[in-house]
Amino acid sequence: MEADVTVIGSGPAGLVAALHAYESGAKNVLLLEREEELGGILKQCIHNGFGLEQFKTDYTGPEYAERLIEEIEKTNVRCFLNTMVIALSADRTVTAVNPDSGVFKVKSKSVVLAMGCRERPRGGINIPGTRPAGVYTAGVAQKFVNIDGYLPGKEIVILGSGDIGLIMARRLTLEGAQVKGVYEIMDYPGGLKRNIVQCLNDFNIPLHLSHTITEIRGNERVEGVVVSSVDDKMQPIGGSEQFIACDTLLLSVGLIPENELSKGAGIKLSPTTNGPITTETMETAMPGIFSCGNVSTVFDLVDYVAETGMTAGRNAARFATARKTERNSVEVIPGKNVRVLFPQRYSFKNDLVLFIRPAKPIERPVSIDISPLDMHFKRLYARPNEMIRVKVPKDRLKDITEPIEVNITER
Amino acid sequence: MDIEKKQFTCVICPIGCEIEVQLQDSDVVSIEGNKCAKGKEFVLQELQEPMRVLTTTIRIEGAKWAMLPVRTDKAIPKRLLFRAIKELQGIELNAPVQMSDVIITDIAGADANIVATRNMKRENKGKSV
Repeated sequence: MEADVTVIGSGPAGLVAALHAYESGAKNVLLLEREEELGGILKQCIHNGFGLEQFKTDYTGPEYAERLIEEIEKTNVRCFLNTMVIALSADRTVTAVNPDSGVFKVKSKSVVLAMGCRERPRGGINIPGTRPAGVYTAGVAQKFVNIDGYLPGKEIVILGSGDIGLIMARRLTLEGAQVKGVYEIMDYPGGLKRNIVQCLNDFNIPLHLSHTITEIRGNERVEGVVVSSVDDKMQPIGGSEQFIACDTLLLSVGLIPENELSKGAGIKLSPTTNGPITTETMETAMPGIFSCGNVSTVFDLVDYVAETGMTAGRNAARFATARKTERNSVEVIPGKNVRVLFPQRYSFKNDLVLFIRPAKPIERPVSIDISPLDMHFKRLYARPNEMIRVKVPKDRLKDITEPIEVNITER
Repeated sequence: MDIEKKQFTCVICPIGCEIEVQLQDSDVVSIEGNKCAKGKEFVLQELQEPMRVLTTTIRIEGAKWAMLPVRTDKAIPKRLLFRAIKELQGIELNAPVQMSDVIITDIAGADANIVATRNMKRENKGKSV
């Protein structure tokens, strides 16, 4: 099989990438999805708050997905469901498998990676204790409740304050479970402030910062957890242990970009984002292979995911027709107080839209400084749980020859 | 009379403005910290009657999945959220359902409708896999 652009994954990034690849002139666009319908994780995110920036409308996840799927259905993008991509090679050959065709290969002029991310499991944080039933990641619990119609338990403790954990605290409370508390090892919350307010405070669910779970108890089923407060080096403080009886523990302890295919193709990954190193066009270090959404770096908002999908789709279409890569590029370097910076290179093709995650919370007015340009973006604060987006226009960057550095300084 | 200060985090958009309101004898004297007019609206509404959009699911028969996601078509008083959930329990729907279909009118007496948030086709059970 052949294609101009092959998009792997049909969550928000993949849907938008396929749509924009098609609209930018790629005639033969292929969208590969391993699940039995399009939309990815949006389908189980039944809460509202999607698309506020992109569409100026407060959609739920399924509504947002449906809107994009309706757009896709108006095009001749070919969608393959139940189709698992099992390998990708540097020459842009995609190997996939599905029940209708068995194993098949697609030779594609360009490829867009949109595989998203997965949740960090219990093994990823090594919580000691027994191994009973009743320990789930927040997203798995979300699927149980919202798709399958099962409650994972009645008395719930949540470890980690990522957005999915907060959303599930509210969801489980509404469905009649008792959420006993959310425990966060850091001294600031992992999720968005608005989710602390509308998911926890609205329902009087306590959030315990600087706390972690040091033991899981129970044989057949979770019977409780031991929580401890931690010191400023995140080490549990002896004597602070407290037993909380519960039948379910949800983990909301981070998301990891899913890059097995990227690694297999030999695509260079960034150690800070855990996603492919890309330029502002979303092209990876492998010519003609683009990457967008949460497979690149974990975003807070679907609007940002979609924005990178749009850029990737457009540039993938352009590569498919022109077969040209911007080989001239400079590095984009995280400087002071910057933990995550995306993209990692600038290739002088598009405006440079930067996504920045601060290293630590600064609750005072800050300046995002772009050097060597004399360019400063002001913000009232900088918080690791709220990604900062700034746009540096292309014409300001055209004469740059040295690396671009991004620093966050107090004003 | 003393000035009373109240803090709010606006939940209208992801920016989450932190807004401080000064009250004197329950009258709003000042509102600070909101980046847009919606923030002011939000705070005034919070002082009077906090309103939230309810999103939940309803059991559905004959579809690919067991649950249909639904929402209120506008925000309802926060104090009525659990009453609304209770009214939805025990309801059984049958596929097909179209997105935006009204499932229940005037939920919890809150003058809002429960609407479907996705399409769910009728699936023929017993199909060969």
